[in-house]
Amino acid sequence: MSVTLLGQSILSGIFSGSLYALLGLGLTLSWRYLKIINLAHFAFIFLAAYLTYQLAGPGGLPPLLVIALVAPLFFVMGYAQQAFLEHFKVDEFASIIITFGMTILAETFIQWIWSADFVRLETHFLRGSWELGPFFLPKQEMLMSAAALALCLVTAAFLRFTWIGKALRAGLDNPQIAASFGVPNKKLSLLIAGIAGALAGVGGAFMALLFTLAPSQIYSWFGVVLAAVLLGRVGSATGVFAAGLLIGVSEAITMAVTAPAWAPLAPFTLLILILVFWPERV
Amino acid sequence: MLILENLDVYYGEARALANVSLTLGDGEIACVIGPNGAGKTTLVNALARLLPVRAGRIRLGGEDITHLTPQELADRGLALIPEGRRLFTTMTVEENLELGCYRPAARAHRAQGLEGIYAMFPILRERRWQIAGTLSGGQQQMVAIGRALMARPKLLLIDEPSLGLAPVVITQVFETIKAIHASGVSILLIEQNAAKALSVSQRAYVLDCGAIVAQGSPEELRQSREINAAYLGAGA
Repeated sequence: MSVTLLGQSILSGIFSGSLYALLGLGLTLSWRYLKIINLAHFAFIFLAAYLTYQLAGPGGLPPLLVIALVAPLFFVMGYAQQAFLEHFKVDEFASIIITFGMTILAETFIQWIWSADFVRLETHFLRGSWELGPFFLPKQEMLMSAAALALCLVTAAFLRFTWIGKALRAGLDNPQIAASFGVPNKKLSLLIAGIAGALAGVGGAFMALLFTLAPSQIYSWFGVVLAAVLLGRVGSATGVFAAGLLIGVSEAITMAVTAPAWAPLAPFTLLILILVFWPERV
Repeated sequence: MLILENLDVYYGEARALANVSLTLGDGEIACVIGPNGAGKTTLVNALARLLPVRAGRIRLGGEDITHLTPQELADRGLALIPEGRRLFTTMTVEENLELGCYRPAARAHRAQGLEGIYAMFPILRERRWQIAGTLSGGQQQMVAIGRALMARPKLLLIDEPSLGLAPVVITQVFETIKAIHASGVSILLIEQNAAKALSVSQRAYVLDCGAIVAQGSPEELRQSREINAAYLGAGA
């Protein structure tokens, strides 16, 4: 195998890994800070992707404007979903079933509006690649990876350094005592759910930019994105980025040296080994 | 400052506090003593609005606070040093202290407040980046005290500050409580260690089986033979 092929494989692994991180970021936040394993996050991503397809394709709006519209819309959706889950006092494990149900509803809704066929966003926005020596750097993937990295870093800094971030961690540690020092746990839950929703919106917009869409594909992202969330340690924004890259690159190298069908082998072997030998890691 | 009128608190159908009334004057330090299981921590949790009150009223500075949220109570100047410290154990010492002044009104005093706490407990300055859960018991109690002081409270609720600490540390903690009171904070101290509690208090209440069974100045309680025998122990 040539160095160029290996290099290009690693690059494509970085791109897909960044996307895993971008899709997993909201998921890891709601899992840790809301104790909700929000499978509907994937439904939000696909709803956002189809909406982006509709607005930027047939609608003719610039993709960046669409992202700016979709993010706040999905902030509201995430907020509303959390209000619903809190109203019914849904716990961590029940959340898996309920949000899976929501995902099925969303899939049906997408089929109803856009049919079960593949759709593809045709846009001139950032078409083509930059060339760096022998390597190709596709512009859309580069933008998505930069956005994923920036969002993960900003989220990590937000949790680490801001008053809201500290209050969120304190509320997780000891909600009653945090409340007695004025931390509004409920409001912060809704805020973090909104942020997770907005992140799903941004992830979905990039999904529309990069992929051909079909409603049934919602489920194909569960495994790899949840693996990134777990490997990166639930709740860690920088962790999910590092784990996303690790998975993406190990998949790409496995594909290059064996066959594409073997791609999941490396990341899932790694995940299983970590779950077996280092369970406190996740 | 603080008036409790005929407070009833239940856990399900079990009555934990019955008809509890007490008064804490402005700038006063009073203690509630009593044996294990008397309902002391229930009283603290009801006061901090972490437990619902079935009947009766709690008034703070003339305002009825019986049904406020814990957050609203924090806004009215009440801070809590809970039993067993209950720090944010996965966060650093400094973050714990900062959470004390989380309320927007208190945030302006963050830097000044930290300086004050570090001056009071120099060891905490050295340990400011350490995860609070890894500190010794005495140091954790310092963080719990510091966290509450960061809120600049008018009224401080202190629950079992001596619990699980070495005698020499307990003495330090009570010295600190005296100093805080001297700085003008009203304090309600809930403590099993009756001798220590009486030694710093201006007024004392004896709680047993969920009811106030005696009250008075520390001298009065010490002179009462029954109280002495039942609650203060032979050597007290």
